[in-house]
Amino acid sequence: MSYARLNLGLMVLAAGLFILSLLVGPAGLGPVDSLRGLVAGGDEATMIIMREIRLPRALLGLCIGFSLGASGAVLQGFLRNPLAEPGVIGVSAIASLGAVLVFYSGVAGASRLALPAGALLGALAASAILLAVAARHGSTLTLILAGVALSSLAGALTSLVLSLSPNPFASYEIIFWLLGSIKDRSMVHVWVALPLMLAGWILILLAHKPLDALSLGEEAAASLGIDLARTRLMVVAGVALCVGAGTAVAGAISFVGLVVPHLIRPLTDRLPGKLILPSGLGGAALLLAADVAARIAIPARELNVGVVTALIGAPFFLWLVVRSRKDVF
Amino acid sequence: MVFASARNGRSAAPLSVRRFAIKTRKGVRPGTPCVWTLLQKAAPAAAAFAAASALAAVSIPAFADCPRVMSLNVCTDQLAMLIAAPGQLVSVSDLAAEPGLSYHHAMAARFNTNRGLAEEVFLARPDVVVTGTFSLHNTTALLKHLGFKVEEFDFSQSLATIPGEIRRMGRILGHPEKSEAMAAAFDAGLAAAKAPACGTAPTIIAYGQNGVAVGADTLAHSVMEAAGFRNLAAELGYSGMTPFPLELLVTSRPDAIILSKPLAGAPALADQITQHPAVQSLSSRRIFLPEAAWTCGGPFTLEAVKTLRLLRDEIAPCTNQTGTAVP
Repeated sequence: MSYARLNLGLMVLAAGLFILSLLVGPAGLGPVDSLRGLVAGGDEATMIIMREIRLPRALLGLCIGFSLGASGAVLQGFLRNPLAEPGVIGVSAIASLGAVLVFYSGVAGASRLALPAGALLGALAASAILLAVAARHGSTLTLILAGVALSSLAGALTSLVLSLSPNPFASYEIIFWLLGSIKDRSMVHVWVALPLMLAGWILILLAHKPLDALSLGEEAAASLGIDLARTRLMVVAGVALCVGAGTAVAGAISFVGLVVPHLIRPLTDRLPGKLILPSGLGGAALLLAADVAARIAIPARELNVGVVTALIGAPFFLWLVVRSRKDVF
Repeated sequence: MVFASARNGRSAAPLSVRRFAIKTRKGVRPGTPCVWTLLQKAAPAAAAFAAASALAAVSIPAFADCPRVMSLNVCTDQLAMLIAAPGQLVSVSDLAAEPGLSYHHAMAARFNTNRGLAEEVFLARPDVVVTGTFSLHNTTALLKHLGFKVEEFDFSQSLATIPGEIRRMGRILGHPEKSEAMAAAFDAGLAAAKAPACGTAPTIIAYGQNGVAVGADTLAHSVMEAAGFRNLAAELGYSGMTPFPLELLVTSRPDAIILSKPLAGAPALADQITQHPAVQSLSSRRIFLPEAAWTCGGPFTLEAVKTLRLLRDEIAPCTNQTGTAVP
């Protein structure tokens, strides 16, 4: 399948799921009324539901899905590690911890920027640590084990901080920060996260050329004029911006970045740079589909979208681990 | 003063005596105000007995035979604090001092507190333990097994059960006349607040943290009904504490929304739902109830009814044609 056709196909799929996401909800609005409320106005209640409740949710599904898919692809390519993914290697979990530390301690007050700032710092620290680990020890296993350790530690600290909060609701929010959800978000969340994610996408997509060169090995890449340190910086910053911003508004959603590149890789010419954009689009489609499933799976009782992605992703991860013992990539 | 000395005398008693007291205290001397055990045995004569004990309260200097009571639940805490004689409560739960949970949180400063642990009960050796049916299930079973007298209270599901619970707590503590007066005052206050209102009943919803609403079969529901509102969540078929979809809140446009106050200094995402633009866009009246007034059922629950009743008369005021105004 050609690169352009693949991207076009995935774009249509993501767009379709975006519209489906706009049409699903407990208010039971008709599809025509819904879309009219979204673009043209009309009944006030319909307009508010579409513009203030469903649109931000669908937009966040789209953007966070894209971020996770693209981050997964760039990490797998850069680290030449099929198991790399923001969730598995602990970037999401530490971003959650950063957000939780800043928000629940109350130091940030009511500032809207406290959450993204904390999450970004967490994601940045995690990406930098993990890439440093990967640069020192080339083995696939070391990075994954370091990531698992960091993930578990961040999860435990997140639970600890939330349990220590005097606010009784804080402990319920452990689920949100560890599994993620895009329920009842508003356009405010979109405006906070979108600029950061955009910057992250640009950095990640700019890394596609060095990534292709790196697939020939570091020395070959250097002989082609690729600056490894600069590429690493772009990947760290890009992933941290994408994942940090997403986690700040939706918690840690795992496994999207792991599953999607593997599903899409067979459809490409296997150059890691050419995998980033389609993986982003595929990630958007997967997260939107998972979020629709989370809403309609059990009527009157919403699931966290992270539960759905983990249900898909965790068995897949296990299968990858078993398979990668035979052949990596 | 006398109570204080009685309490000091008790705590100074050697452990062996106190341990023994669990078994011997059942034989209460007649004539003292605290005659809970005897009242149970001679139920038909209860009324006469209550009168006699009221007289005795004047002549007997100390509540020497009052059962020492320990409360492990924030709801029993508040009833017990309101009714008990000074020094009679061994301790109340530490939640009794939480402003968000306990209406009488200020009162709790005067009492010792416990954390609801069986060990604490075992060391304190109260005559009676009062607790909630649904709280600390294992603790309750363990205490019963150890031979403690445990009195369990259901969580109040409606205003109608509150007077009965007040009276029951009064009997347990040995102050039936005090609780009887309290229950009667509650009934009178409720009857006054429930007086007929004008116009059609407006709709209301209690929309709390995380978008959780309170449906049918709850104390809050009966408070809303008593104040002359229709509970939107119950009308849409929800019961108990239940997540209420934001979209339904927007489509059903209640006349009033009861919000809960976020805890100062301890932020949680749960509090942010009321800041959502979709909630902000509603023209509904917003109201905060006196804090913790309907977390538990008690005389204080009347304050929630009164606050809502004022709002109800404001939303649908009486005009000359639609009926008579209620003072």
